[in-house]
Amino acid sequence: MHEKRKQGISRRSFLKAAAGAVGAGTILPQAAQASGGDSVATLIDLSRCDGCPGRYVPACVEACKAEHIPGMPAPVDPIPVPFPRAVIEDWSKKQEVSDRLTPYNRIFVQQAIVEFQGYKHTISIPRRCMHCDNPACATLCPFSANHKQANGAVVIDPDLCFGGAKCRTLCPWEIPQRQSGVGLYLHVLPTLMGNGVMFKCDLCSARLKEGQKPACVEACPRQAMLIGPREEIFLDAEHRARQMQGFIYGKAENGGTGTLYVSPVPFEVLDQAVKKGKGRPGLAPVKRKMDATDTLGAVTLAAPAVGLVAGLAGSIKSLADRRAKESKDEARHE
Amino acid sequence: MRRAMSKPQPMKSVLVVRHHLIELIEHWAIAISGLALFFSGMFELPMANRYYVTSLPGLGWSGDFLVSLNVHYAAAVVFIIACVFHVVYHGLKHETGMLPRKGDLKQSVEVIKTFFGKGEEPPFAKYLPEQRLAYVGMAVVIAFLIFTGLFKTWKNILAPDMNLTLVLWATWLHNLFFIMFFLAFLAHMAAIILKPNRPMVRGIFTGRVRRDYAEHRHPLWIRDLEGPQAPRPEPAPQAAAQDSVQEDEPGKTAPQEAAEPDVKG
Repeated sequence: MHEKRKQGISRRSFLKAAAGAVGAGTILPQAAQASGGDSVATLIDLSRCDGCPGRYVPACVEACKAEHIPGMPAPVDPIPVPFPRAVIEDWSKKQEVSDRLTPYNRIFVQQAIVEFQGYKHTISIPRRCMHCDNPACATLCPFSANHKQANGAVVIDPDLCFGGAKCRTLCPWEIPQRQSGVGLYLHVLPTLMGNGVMFKCDLCSARLKEGQKPACVEACPRQAMLIGPREEIFLDAEHRARQMQGFIYGKAENGGTGTLYVSPVPFEVLDQAVKKGKGRPGLAPVKRKMDATDTLGAVTLAAPAVGLVAGLAGSIKSLADRRAKESKDEARHE
Repeated sequence: MRRAMSKPQPMKSVLVVRHHLIELIEHWAIAISGLALFFSGMFELPMANRYYVTSLPGLGWSGDFLVSLNVHYAAAVVFIIACVFHVVYHGLKHETGMLPRKGDLKQSVEVIKTFFGKGEEPPFAKYLPEQRLAYVGMAVVIAFLIFTGLFKTWKNILAPDMNLTLVLWATWLHNLFFIMFFLAFLAHMAAIILKPNRPMVRGIFTGRVRRDYAEHRHPLWIRDLEGPQAPRPEPAPQAAAQDSVQEDEPGKTAPQEAAEPDVKG
């Protein structure tokens, strides 16, 4: 059924539908059609998300699972025990888990019951990768298995990832999740190097390339999630925040992200109310830690010029000294 | 000693300048920053925590990827400046003695055979043929590391979404040459373990090597150093070479200047 739907939507008809949907608040990923070009952003309007009451799992979670679980590789049995820290993360037998991030659950919905300005609010918060503007998880991946694409999606290539979990350490929300016993490391040094593959939301990059919306966005029955050209999404988020006298999260976090949450309740309040822990990120303000390395990085980029100038100055002086000495010697001989 | 008594050498020094201060600074700047780059590069892999390196005294920082990145950047600044300086400074002065010459490959094989007792070493110039080949090999490795490293730094700061194909090439070449750098370093260390090469170790610390060693193993260099008219140098007494550090005074010119153009040879 899903395949049929994929094949049934042409790029042209998708764009047509997209144009028509703008009025309903759905901005379409025109810029993401060919994975390149201008980047897209997503907007998650928390005043619209209700967590899909009555469903076993929210529609976005279900759609994400349906999109990604079929492509998940099966772990080897037994999974090699890493040396010296014998930590194995195997979620393959807990694929149904939907209340936190796992390799099989790349979006989940947090609940926060809070009081704000005298009113009680029940807020549902879909959580997944924020697709940061300059993501340390991607730029510092030692194998470039994780990369920020031109369309803004931060995508892990499971065929290149060794599962060292550096990306999770660097991510301020610790979003990527590891599945041990799968991936390239099994063919290299399975007990000594690597420990599986890291998985996280890739903004349904494959669907974007085909001109489709991410599965979660498409499945949301309340149009709480939108995707579109970055500038339009940012304008829309500002507009919505103004209208509800609300707040935006994700615009400045970690140096800027491609995911904007709009909420009628401050995110500091939500951060206090949500259940946090492994696979359950908070909503506190986040500074970009890599800022602390940019200065020395910039000096590194200038280093060749410094070496060039120093080499020129040194050699000119040395040659001048040599000539002066030769002249002096000649004068002495005469 | 007996020879010195029977035929005194007029101020013949027991040491000869092999490397000037600027070359020593270049070498050690590249060596120390290169090692810092190697280890901080290792710590960019998720291995310090896994292998309890963070538990070692003074290495608690090794598990912090951003601290090790800053160490990597700081070492890269020194490394790149030293390497570019080296190329520009010696290039403009036409000091090309370390560049390979015709026949170096064949001669290197012959020299390596002598390390295992087969045949005798030919007379050398300042640098051994395998040294010249190794120099170019290391230069290629370093050049790739610098270019790919700068590319990755550019991406980290300014262009995280640059073309994936370019990023993959830069990353994997950087990783590949990182391994080659380590192997080259091991080979470099192995070379000084070899007995015939050991007298050169002193040179890279003090700039000077024993004259008797230089005259015996590098007569072509000494001939260049002292000028074509200079008589063949006689071996210096072993005993005198042990402690005294005299300023070299070869042939017609002062030692520093005499040693100046030696890398041409």
